[in-house]
Order: sequence, then C-alpha cells, then structure tokens
Amino acid sequence: MIPVSSHGKPSPGGLSEPEQRTATRLCVETGILLLQHGAESALVETVTRRLGLALGVERMEIAILANAIVVTSLSERHCITTVRRNVDRGVNMHMVTEVQRAMLDVEAGRLDVTGYEARLAAIRPLRYPRWLVSLMIGLSCACFARLAKADLPGCGLAFVAATAAMYIRLFIAQLHFNPLVNFFVSAFVATSISGQGVLHKIGAKPEIAMATCVLLFVPGFPLINSVSDMVKGYMNTGLSRGMGALLLSAATCAGILLAMSVWHLWGWL
Amino acid sequence: MNLFLGLLENMVLAAIPAVGFGLVFNVPRHALIYCALGGAIGRGGRFLLMGTLDMPLAWATLLAAAAVSLLGVYVAQRMRAHPKVFTVAAMIPMIPGVPIFKALIAVAQMQEKGTTDELLATALQSGLTAGFVVAALAIGLAVPGLLFYRRRPVV
Repeated sequence: MIPVSSHGKPSPGGLSEPEQRTATRLCVETGILLLQHGAESALVETVTRRLGLALGVERMEIAILANAIVVTSLSERHCITTVRRNVDRGVNMHMVTEVQRAMLDVEAGRLDVTGYEARLAAIRPLRYPRWLVSLMIGLSCACFARLAKADLPGCGLAFVAATAAMYIRLFIAQLHFNPLVNFFVSAFVATSISGQGVLHKIGAKPEIAMATCVLLFVPGFPLINSVSDMVKGYMNTGLSRGMGALLLSAATCAGILLAMSVWHLWGWL
Repeated sequence: MNLFLGLLENMVLAAIPAVGFGLVFNVPRHALIYCALGGAIGRGGRFLLMGTLDMPLAWATLLAAAAVSLLGVYVAQRMRAHPKVFTVAAMIPMIPGVPIFKALIAVAQMQEKGTTDELLATALQSGLTAGFVVAALAIGLAVPGLLFYRRRPVV
C-alpha cells in the first residue's frame, strides 16, 4: 500500500519533488501514447492512473479532452499538473498492447521508474507492409461482396477496386495529407474502378461490387470508440470521435458522388 | 442443412475481413487469430439468432457482440492486453457500412435534386439502421464492463 502522510511530515515511502515530477511526466506520456493510437478514454484513464499509483503517487487525476490530456499527481499534499496536446497517429493496437504491458510490469514490481522510461522509449510501433494490408483489404471487400450475394466476377471487381484504393489510401497517408482529402480521393478511385464493371456489365450484379468496395473507408474504430466513450461517461471525447467518424464518412461519400457523376453511374441507391 | 451451410459461409466470410482490418489497426501478430475467431463467432452468432429466432438486426447484433466480448475477456486475461485490441477488429464484419453510405448519399441527393418521399425514406431508414447497429456493437462490447467488471479493470 502507499503510505499516507499526516500533516506535512514526509512519510517513509513518499516521493520527493523530482521523483514526483518524473512520475507525472511518465504518466502523461503514457496517456498521450494511448490516446494517439486509438485507445478508448476509459482505458487511457485507468492505465494512466494505475501507473501513477504504482510509481508511488498518492492520487492521480486525469482529464481527457478531445485533443489533449491533463494529468495531475498528488503526493505529500503537493500537486503537479501537466498537459499534452494530442496528435492522431492512427489506430495502432500493437502500441496500446505494449504500453499496457509495461504498466502491468510496473504494477507487478518487475520494472522501476528508469526501467519503465527505457521500455517506453524502446517501443517501435508495428506497421504491416503496405502490399499485405492492401491485398488483405481487397480480399475483405471481396468477402463483403460475397456476403451481399455477388457472383464471382462481382467479387473479383470488388477485390481489384478495394486493393487499389487501399494502396492509394496508404500512400497518400504517408505523404501526410489531411485524412479527409485522402478518403475523398481514394473513394473516388475505388468507385471509378468498380464503376467500370457497371459500364461494361461485368457479372450479373456489378452494383454490389460498387457498394462494397468502399467499405474499407468506414471508420469502424472511431465509431465504436465514440459510442463506448459516451456509454462510459466520456461525453466530450465520445462526441468528438463520433463527429470525426461522420466527417470521414462524408468525405468518402463526396468521393463516391463525384465518381458517380463523372461516369454517369446511378446504380446502387 | 441449408442453415448450416449458410452459417459456415457467414463465418468464413466474416473471419477474413476481421483479419484484414486487424492489419489496418496494427493488431499484434499473435492476436490476429482471435480477430478471426471473434469475427466468425460474432457474425455466425448474429446469423443464427436472426435465422432461427427471427430476432431483429440490432438485438441480434447486441447479443453477438456481447458474446464475443465475454470470450474476449477470457483471452485478454491470458494475453495480458485489453480485449478491445482484438474485439473491435472482430466487430468490423458487422459494421453497417453500406447503410451509412446509402444514408449520406441520399442526403446529398436530397440537397441536389430536391426531397422526394423515396429519398427521405432511404435516408431515414438507412441512417437509423446504421445508428442502431453501431450502438448495439459498442454496447455489446461494453457488456463485460457493465455487468461483471464494474469497479475493477478487466486486465
């Protein structure tokens, strides 16, 4: 247990000010890493709090805003508060797993402050190769087409369109374009490719391929995080995540509509 | 027999997208198998609930998501990682993607060509379906925390 001091007398296990400062900084960096890589607010808050308590802080208060995190640590009746701005780095569950495991090691006493700092600095986010992701997403959209009762040429069409679109999406993302621009352009490409199937009458129902090849643009993670944040009482992050997901969907929709009017396709509505 | 074949097809066709989107979410390699299993169980469960009990889409989705999430807790505690690391990717095959875009396109059409009964019906119907199913997925995933892990963390 963490010793509680009585009236200013330093408790035997209490933190000195530099120690408390280090602990607070590590906590806020942990929180921001989780937030940047798509963890839901409840997870960000609990991991950050548990880390602080494991590092010897008496009490932790964490406020999560739409694009920042505020951490206050209380020790020996002294508060230290610090803020970090959040920049979205894209969903990365490998990062979330590694950070949480490091926290669990601190909690279990297998890692001390310096060990944790080194561990955090050593984590390199996992990225799957672009060609593999594109091919698997193509295959996924072909499966969606099949689930929507498309025939074999239809599934093939969805596969080609989705693979190409995903490759372009990852390429544009690497150039640091705004995701909205990225989704707009990639959705235009996806619909343009699958639209050729409708124009040239490939298979029995090429319209299904047109509808399913854009499913790779559905912001599934932000949508689910949005609702679970709100259910767990984090209204502001929930609303902002939901609005972000809606905007991405709208950008995709604009790309689809542009392709439809360029190629004169009004198939799947 | 027909039901069984349908179930099998649904499960296989759901497992592949779950892994595909697992790659997009950078799920650690050893957890990808749980994405596949979760995707298959979720979509298969929903198929069964709707096929045999005639359950409405949103309720069937809620139960399927809750089942995957409860199994996910078991795996997560052994893996020492939060269950959402792989359960969200497992939900992707049940995300109502086509209704979301249908609703948005219908809204854009209403702005462009004027509101007709047909467009308004499409926008409302698809938008509501999308909203209810997404809510069902997220609440279903939260079920272990809401019912069993109320004041303690899952991992």
